[in-house]
Amino acid sequence: MTKKKEKTRIIDCDVHTYPKHIDEIRAYMDNPWKQRYKGGGRGFFDNPVHGSRLDAEPSSGGPPGSDPEFLREQHINEYGIEQAIILPRAFCNLHPDPDFATAIAAAYNEWLAETWLGKYNYDGVFKGSITIAHQDPVAAAKEIEKWADHPHFVQVMTDSGARAPFGQRQYYPIYEACDKYGLPFAIHPGTDGMGINEQPTPGYPTHYIEWHTCLSLAFQSHLVSFITEGVFERFPNFKVVLVEGGVSWLAPLIWRLDAEYKALRYEVPWLQKRPSEYLRDHVRITSQPLENPDNTNHLIQILEMMDAKNLLMFASDYPHWDFDSPRHAFPNNISDELRNRIFYENAKELYKL
Amino acid sequence: MGKHVVAKISEMTPGVRKIVQLEGRSIGVFNVNGEYYALKNNCPHQQAPLCRGNVTGMTLPSKPGEYIYAREGEIIRCPWHGWEFDITNGKSIYDPHKCRVKTYEVTVEEEEVTTVETYPVTVESGNVVVHV
Repeated sequence: MTKKKEKTRIIDCDVHTYPKHIDEIRAYMDNPWKQRYKGGGRGFFDNPVHGSRLDAEPSSGGPPGSDPEFLREQHINEYGIEQAIILPRAFCNLHPDPDFATAIAAAYNEWLAETWLGKYNYDGVFKGSITIAHQDPVAAAKEIEKWADHPHFVQVMTDSGARAPFGQRQYYPIYEACDKYGLPFAIHPGTDGMGINEQPTPGYPTHYIEWHTCLSLAFQSHLVSFITEGVFERFPNFKVVLVEGGVSWLAPLIWRLDAEYKALRYEVPWLQKRPSEYLRDHVRITSQPLENPDNTNHLIQILEMMDAKNLLMFASDYPHWDFDSPRHAFPNNISDELRNRIFYENAKELYKL
Repeated sequence: MGKHVVAKISEMTPGVRKIVQLEGRSIGVFNVNGEYYALKNNCPHQQAPLCRGNVTGMTLPSKPGEYIYAREGEIIRCPWHGWEFDITNGKSIYDPHKCRVKTYEVTVEEEEVTTVETYPVTVESGNVVVHV
């Protein structure tokens, strides 16, 4: 069994890298932003235990995910990962000032291009995400255009935290740019309920355990919005990647939407096919944190129901606390074919690697 | 299956932990309030190096809205996903019956004294011994 697993080719669709110090990011900013930017994350709903793997702190100092050689040793080489898709955590989407948010996103892109996609990337193992501030979709589209031809930027990314569901038309300059340049649009949890963004629960939950469990709710809302608003009709080349938003909810949600469609297609007549067909043609979802019920067979059934063979892509979330090990996150008894699709082929096809 | 001297007790004062390699296994040895314990350095969940986690206390089961923080130094949290384990018996806090880490017997044994004259031997001169 171990031997079989070692043969699995792996593309990891969610790896987080950080600057050694926030001054690394500030170096790519002009004033007035350089003076104002202090870094910082979401501010509250921090994990009360720990936010990153304790063994991921590099001995060279700096936070987990900041030392390329240590990251290679502990993650890339340890598991034989062929490509790691990097999603930096700029947290720019919580700011009320769209110019400030855009400046933060731009600095992160410059930094990522020069470091992890540049001087740390001698073998091309690292692929990156273009961070955008969705507060200003026109500026975001320009940021996408700026990096679209870069050989190692393979997608656009934003936080799931937002002021409106992502299918709505104010966002379309972003999707037009993604569609034009063939860059998938990845949504990652973060800044939900922070700063200017809505919290996708009735009010604020009390605890991190609630907030973290309910992150899936924003993903469900965004997905339903993308499909029903006709985004995939308007932008036929546009692809969405749902990262770290949960997995097991997908099948029943899309069944429900397909059922609603039978009568309510009337309300959204631009939909030319069933919601589940848009899902299959335009959406991919990453695995971590994979729900693991006591009865493993139930998970295997869920994977079958959700069409994991075509939709699911492995992600580890290294170096965060809820990291999924490539060796242990999935049941041993999934088929070699399914394992290969999830760990390798689906991402290879989507990102054209 | 053997006895392995892993430390002098003088170097393993309360609160100290030591991770050792014994018979091909990584094992964490702990002094918790003067008692010694040993756990396999391998979390039963996703095989993370459990014994590298933080040694801490825990919130005891309580009524809603009540916090009772206790057992400082007796709990280890996995450095990956933060699951809590009782160092004194290897049982997880969330499900002590089904989720547990392997424990090993630890004894304190006096050093062999080879001098002809006899001296009083105190426990401070002993070894911490793990039985694998």
